[in-house]
Amino acid sequence: MTHLSSEHLSECILGQPDRRIAGHLENCPACRAELGNFREALSGFRGAVRCWSQNQAHVALAVPRPSESRSWSASHQLALALLLAGVCILASIVWRGGENAPAGDAVLLNQVDAQVSRAVPSSMEPLMKLVAQE
Amino acid sequence: MQLSAASELERAIRPDVAVAQDFEALVQLYRPKVFRFALASLRDLDTAESVTQDCFLRAYQARDGFRQDCSTQTWLMRIAVNLIRDQIRNRRFQFWRRASLTAKPADVAGHGIADRARSPEAQALLNEQVAAVWEAAGKLPERQRTVFLLRFVEDLDLLEIACATGMKEGTVKTHLFRALRAVRVRLGGVA
Repeated sequence: MTHLSSEHLSECILGQPDRRIAGHLENCPACRAELGNFREALSGFRGAVRCWSQNQAHVALAVPRPSESRSWSASHQLALALLLAGVCILASIVWRGGENAPAGDAVLLNQVDAQVSRAVPSSMEPLMKLVAQE
Repeated sequence: MQLSAASELERAIRPDVAVAQDFEALVQLYRPKVFRFALASLRDLDTAESVTQDCFLRAYQARDGFRQDCSTQTWLMRIAVNLIRDQIRNRRFQFWRRASLTAKPADVAGHGIADRARSPEAQALLNEQVAAVWEAAGKLPERQRTVFLLRFVEDLDLLEIACATGMKEGTVKTHLFRALRAVRVRLGGVA
């Protein structure tokens, strides 16, 4: 028999190996070591999770209702991010509007220049034509 | 006359009080286990707390319907399994929680029980293996992870897991085999 497959090792871990597998384990140090390592890792995992869970339970008792504060802070962060995004969009719109302003100003200035450069006010222009004819 | 009325009232109240006291004892006994299972499944302290509270609330509400066809622990685990499943489904949409609040392998591996007989190198190796198992367990599909944790953290046997998850015993075994294979691959073994 070749070395034990993953399924065989799983059967051993679950405590249901058949005679053939048990016999192989007795005679194969490599498979025995492999199984031992696997068992130790799972046992260490069990111990670590239990210990960690106990510590976390103490943390949960020490800090009353942390879930609300955390979920609130998460929603606050989201709201803040949305607000900042809104401000950025608004600022860019205003800025682009500002970029168009010089063109509008130039038209207005031209109109003012045209008015100022007239020799007489527009209401007197027909009279000026009569004088020019003379 | 008044005395008789008071004693009648007391008799009427006492069963509820007794049930409440019994239930309080049940909570004291099983709360750490339910919390541990929820925490290992969800890896988030707040959600695990919430699931544990919900579990006992539902158990209290459904206590009359408990047919005692399985142990109390298995019955509570069954409620917890369903609540955790709901949480996982809801959490798929809460991307910011997934990213920030899950426990890292090192958080858990550091809690391994130190063995004085083990050399520092061997202890470090074991911590690495524990971290690898934790990481592999986190990547397992939901059902595989559930049966894996019920078997290797809560020490439930196949029949109890079948009762807690509502699966057939053969299905539980299949999920366990797949979970073990994935964990072994993560540990560096050949599948």
